[in-house]
Amino acid sequence: MAMEEHDEEEKQQLGFPYWKSIPRSFGPESPFFASGNIERELLAKQVALDLTEDEKHQLQNMVVEEGGGIFCPIVGCGSRLTSLENFEDHYNARHTASCSVCSRVYPTSRLLSIHVSELHDSFFQAKVARGYAVYECLVEGCGLKFKSYKSRQRHLVDKHKFPTSFEFYKKAHLSKKQRQKLQRKQATHRREEDSCMEVDNESIDGLISGISKLSTSDSPSSVSFGRRHTRGLTFVPRAVQREKMPDPTSAGTKR
Amino acid sequence: MADESFAFHRRDPIKSSVGNVAANRRRQNAVTVGKERRESLVRAKRLCRVGISGDGDADVSLDSEMMIDEEQSILEAQTSSAVEVLKSAVAYQGKGAMQKRVSALRDLRRLLSKSEFPPVEAALKAGAIPILVQCLSFGSQDEQLLEAAWCLTNIAAGKPEETEALLPALPLLIAHLGEKSSLSVAEQCAWALGNVAGEGEKLRSVLLSQGALLPLARMMLPNKGSTVRTSAWALSNLIKGPDPKAATELVRIDGVLDAIVRHLKKADDELATEVAWVVVYLSALSNIATSMLVKNDVLQLLVDRLATSNSLQLLIPVLRSLGNLVAGDSQTIYAVLVPGHEITDSVIKVLVKCLRSEHRVLKKEAAWVLSNIAAGSVEHKRLINSSEAVPLLLRLLSTAPFDIRKEVAYVLGNLCVAPTEGDGKPNLILEHLVSLVSGGCLPGFIDLVRSADTEAARVGLQFMELVLRGMPNGEGPKLVEQEDGIDAMERFQFHENEDLRNMANGLVDKYFGEDYGLDE
Repeated sequence: MAMEEHDEEEKQQLGFPYWKSIPRSFGPESPFFASGNIERELLAKQVALDLTEDEKHQLQNMVVEEGGGIFCPIVGCGSRLTSLENFEDHYNARHTASCSVCSRVYPTSRLLSIHVSELHDSFFQAKVARGYAVYECLVEGCGLKFKSYKSRQRHLVDKHKFPTSFEFYKKAHLSKKQRQKLQRKQATHRREEDSCMEVDNESIDGLISGISKLSTSDSPSSVSFGRRHTRGLTFVPRAVQREKMPDPTSAGTKR
Repeated sequence: MADESFAFHRRDPIKSSVGNVAANRRRQNAVTVGKERRESLVRAKRLCRVGISGDGDADVSLDSEMMIDEEQSILEAQTSSAVEVLKSAVAYQGKGAMQKRVSALRDLRRLLSKSEFPPVEAALKAGAIPILVQCLSFGSQDEQLLEAAWCLTNIAAGKPEETEALLPALPLLIAHLGEKSSLSVAEQCAWALGNVAGEGEKLRSVLLSQGALLPLARMMLPNKGSTVRTSAWALSNLIKGPDPKAATELVRIDGVLDAIVRHLKKADDELATEVAWVVVYLSALSNIATSMLVKNDVLQLLVDRLATSNSLQLLIPVLRSLGNLVAGDSQTIYAVLVPGHEITDSVIKVLVKCLRSEHRVLKKEAAWVLSNIAAGSVEHKRLINSSEAVPLLLRLLSTAPFDIRKEVAYVLGNLCVAPTEGDGKPNLILEHLVSLVSGGCLPGFIDLVRSADTEAARVGLQFMELVLRGMPNGEGPKLVEQEDGIDAMERFQFHENEDLRNMANGLVDKYFGEDYGLDE
């Protein structure tokens, strides 16, 4: 009883909520900002529209005026650019981020270097065989590395919410002739490389000097996956193939 | 509003490259169409351009609804077959395969670029997404990447479930933002991702997990180009939260803060607008960002923009950024907004400019910012009280629309009350109270008490308490009575809201009790 009375008294004493001079802040989605947001929300999803006939004419005229544009001078490219600005753009994209082995083009230097390591670098494959975690996560800034293509894939799906359908590499469709040529080349190289791989006790550093001789510049030009011949598809690295089909043979490098 | 944006995008066609003009026109149209579509989605009423050639006018009478449905189904059929054509083009490996693919993509893109109602659903049903994902594979020609990304952009601009359908494409879209991608490809991918991020929190979270923040941030670093603007827009959608993590991460990326400062200082209105929205979200969500922004003199840059610009599109986010910074960490802000320093005077001046504007949003939000400055030290209150703001505020309190009046009330009330120290009754600043009351602010507050809005009524009652308590010579009750204040309070006698009821009854009991009027 006494407690209740005490509470009642307190409540009365608390009394009026006096004006307090304090700053007020609102979250970005607060209704307070709603009217100002309306303009913004309408732009929240922009539709990229087609040009009208009028605009097309304008563009065509403009190109003609500018003298018909420039052709990329790089041998075998043949792209036509409509302005110097576009040419610079094109050059940076097409001719500086391509793999010297297979001509594959990547949108970032980082992805290119990952591609080169995983597909063309025997040193990389050696590390894989020895169980080092060398498959880098594709998301820049993550920093994690994995022992296999598959486990990296799993990480992308689990941690970075990549769709399960995502594949960094895709299967290529080689013609029969190309496949035979490729197999012959790989066979010769594997014989050379096996001798190096037998040095079991050497540290990885020691292996570098041996394997670096089998550099990527030896790539047979006939097995070229440049843009002209493919539709931007490349072959699945042998390491990945081995994981899919149980293969007890020792690690060899792939070409 | 549409006219304003048209004015922005006009550029000298000779000077800009082909790509720019096209992109600008697209953007122009996009704004108009975006609005139309939004409105039509809300209204659930279909508008359709007469004729696929697109030369009909926007006014469609209801009579032709039958025809519209027919044309819509033609469009849908065309879209389904365009997807099929694309599938076979991708499967084809012979001569001229690339050209075939690009051509098929272009046809699909054109169908998806019909304003009013792109046949997104039909495209999705026909399996557009997996095939478009294939077209985004690494090493594909720029034209192919561009067209595929364009298709995805428009698919993502529709209903929530349509935007969600882009999930399988996201990692590739993000990858093609890379520094080695051609600018137009990167920009189109940024556009698509901006649409996805704009859809909602869940998709934002997926994009962030997949590493979209860093490459988009990098695209914002150059000085000019439409890519910078598009990426800034996409970023603002990406960091808008409610999770503050992305905002904090963004401001820590190398070069971002510098780019923001640079753009706020020198960029044209369009780019500055997008960057300002990035700052809005940075300042609203992240204390770290706020502190870094303030330390880099962003306050001055915002003030300069407010002082010189007349574009509503730009002023809204700039003003709001200023407001967020002021409302943020008080230590940081009051270290800069020192009374007597030029910056403080400029801030008040520029807020007064906004209060004088014809735009409702600017008036309301400027009053809000001012109320937060008025919540500072006694010197701040003195500064405002003696500025040109007060006569303007008094006028607004009587004449402006409700939402503005409420904010103005906060300014005036804060001017009359000393900074809060501990518990108990805050002290009055009598000088300010007296001058404001004689300036005629009381009726405005009593009006707020009468409003249906709980918060406004509360504010009104709180101010009345100040008057009743503080006015010298016991004038308070008389003044309140004169303005029908008692009447306003008595309406709360049996009000459903307990707090308001108690407040009002408490005041009436205390100041208009049995003894009231007996002295006379």
